Amino acid sequence: MNSVLGEGMSWGVVLQFALALSGFAIFALLVVFVAYLLMRLLFLAVPAPAVVRFLSWRYLIHRPTNLIGVVGIFLGTGALIMILSIMTGFLEETRRSMRGSLSDLILALPGTEPPSRPWDAEKILEVVRADPRVEAASAHLTWPCFLTREGGNSLMMLSDPQRSQYAFVQLAGIDENDEKSSTSFHQSLIAPPNYGESVSDPTRPFAPPPEYDPSMGIPRASVILGDQLYNVHRLSRGDFVTLIIPVRDPESEYGFAAKEREFVVAGSFRSSENEMDLERVYIERGQLARFMAGANEEDPLPKNAMNVSQILIKLRDYERDSKAVAAELGDTLRSRRLIDRSCELKTWEEFRGSLLGAIENERVLLGIMLSLVLLVACFTVFAILSMMVSEKRRDIGILTALGATPQLSLMVFLAIGFWDALIGAVLGASTGVVLALTIDDIERWLSNALGVQIFNRNVYIFDSIPSVVTPIAVAAIVLGAFVCTLIFAAIPAWRAARLEPVDALRNE
Amino acid sequence: MTQREIVLHASGVKKSYRIARRELPILHGCDLALARGERLALMGPSGAGKSTFLHVLGLLDRPTSGSVRIEGVDAWSLSQDERARMRNVRLGFVFQFYHLVAELTAVENVLLPAMIRHSSYSFDREKTQLTERAVDLLTRFGLQERLKHRPPQLSGGERQRVALARALFHDPPILIADEPTGNLDRETGERVLELLFNEQLERKLSLLLVTHDERLAARCERVARMDAGRVHDGLLSAR
Repeated sequence: MNSVLGEGMSWGVVLQFALALSGFAIFALLVVFVAYLLMRLLFLAVPAPAVVRFLSWRYLIHRPTNLIGVVGIFLGTGALIMILSIMTGFLEETRRSMRGSLSDLILALPGTEPPSRPWDAEKILEVVRADPRVEAASAHLTWPCFLTREGGNSLMMLSDPQRSQYAFVQLAGIDENDEKSSTSFHQSLIAPPNYGESVSDPTRPFAPPPEYDPSMGIPRASVILGDQLYNVHRLSRGDFVTLIIPVRDPESEYGFAAKEREFVVAGSFRSSENEMDLERVYIERGQLARFMAGANEEDPLPKNAMNVSQILIKLRDYERDSKAVAAELGDTLRSRRLIDRSCELKTWEEFRGSLLGAIENERVLLGIMLSLVLLVACFTVFAILSMMVSEKRRDIGILTALGATPQLSLMVFLAIGFWDALIGAVLGASTGVVLALTIDDIERWLSNALGVQIFNRNVYIFDSIPSVVTPIAVAAIVLGAFVCTLIFAAIPAWRAARLEPVDALRNE
Repeated sequence: MTQREIVLHASGVKKSYRIARRELPILHGCDLALARGERLALMGPSGAGKSTFLHVLGLLDRPTSGSVRIEGVDAWSLSQDERARMRNVRLGFVFQFYHLVAELTAVENVLLPAMIRHSSYSFDREKTQLTERAVDLLTRFGLQERLKHRPPQLSGGERQRVALARALFHDPPILIADEPTGNLDRETGERVLELLFNEQLERKLSLLLVTHDERLAARCERVARMDAGRVHDGLLSAR
């Protein structure tokens, strides 16, 4: 039985489809009925003769070709609303995830030259936290790094840099407690991993994993890797990885040297940002500072060691305060000589401006392209109405003989365009909104029914297809459909008004 | 003999069309008078300009010069809206080819003049009375079984009776009939004419009947003849 339908499909699915379709048909009829009632009500308020309402409706339902226009407008508005909602959803979801890993304000602290002291993270944090508009702040020490599995080292890497075991990653030194309150670090630890393994205790993420016994051999600090990076290197908890970092070395010919050290894998994290999951490795800030300074894991932190490169600040009210706080904090810190001119305080949007701009561009472009669908639909209305005016020349003559003015003929045909727009736009808007709100369930159902995965949730880091319906956008699209249709309907309607009634009535 | 009131008076009506930069005269100054309650036949060969003259009289086509008075009012000097109103309530039209709207039922076709006259609001309010009136008219014309039928489902005679009911809906003083039986067989045509003449007598209608048929013309009070854009015996003075 299934051979006709192909694999993965059954008659039950066909039945489901049929049910969905008939449900939609009932819904469409309901919309047509509501549109008719709406129009009747509207016409009670307009001093147009009764024949306009009456005859335009009759022409509409007796000419199935008019359906093409209605369907066109329906598809146009529906697709526009649905796609734009999904794009808006993508945009907002992306913004949220970017913001989550970035916090609200970022103070970038470039490295200092040896004679001057490194930036004092504790003092800066103290000043920042003193501002009542700041909810939380944390210090980051980020450093570029090569990562390889146990056994690799910098010499091997130099001899064959193309070997894929070496990954270029961003090493982020953090303070776990500060990080929880200012970024989405904690959420990324407890998010169910796609490929990796969560840390055994999210409240103490850098504690040695149960698979590793620190009393055996030399003590090693822990690292937490991004979900995808974890997968690429086929790691598991308790494994060792070698990190290779470049550090300043005045004695070397080139002014820098490579340092390497083994770390133990405590687990993986999964943020909602692809890049992070592929390129970021978390480590305790103190441990990274020791690594860079060449101190052992259990040594005290050497004086004058670089220990901060960014301050992340979370605000109580980002929309309201971001600009003011960025300016004021910068001034305060500079006046206390805690930072200098080279240190910039930016909002997270400024930090990631180009990517956000790209998504926004994409949304606008898609909107323009889909508007063309609507334009084509309006053109169909134009073509059908032009045809009808030619076809109904005689009726226009009859109406004139019975006492109609040219304006009345115009209104009859304009009203047909109005019906097209009303039914098409109302049907399209409601369908578009319903689809946008349930797109995730629909996709899951369709994927199940057809046995094909339509939306791969691993490609996008979202757990569900995001979509955000903005009432203003829906209203604008419906209004646009109306205006466009009426403009296009006005041309044939105007032609109807200009027809000479006697030409239409003359005996053949 | 008492002076009869003239309800439709055309004087010096000229009409010419401009085709490819050349003036093509159709009517060369036509005069016609129609008294209240009078039955006037207008005869003439094809191409004499009957249709054009009828359209000028029916306020559908503006004359190049001359005037048309309807119940004493110079109709072509009125505004477009006032003239449309005049067509709606003062004039009735019956055409050779019925000219019913195919999408509407018999009753709805009869209601068309009312739908043009009333706004949606007042039409909805008075719909019951108006419909009753349309049904009465159709019943009177023997169409009580055909109320909900559309024109394509009606015979020629039935269609013309619907058209007649539509023309009489607003009880106009003037009825213009353009070869009303021209498209019907003799028997059917006779039945339509009977109805038409009955109504004319009962309502004291002024009927302008355009025809080719000499015998039909003979049943009218007066016959005017048209030839090459001129009307002969159009005025009442002959009496």
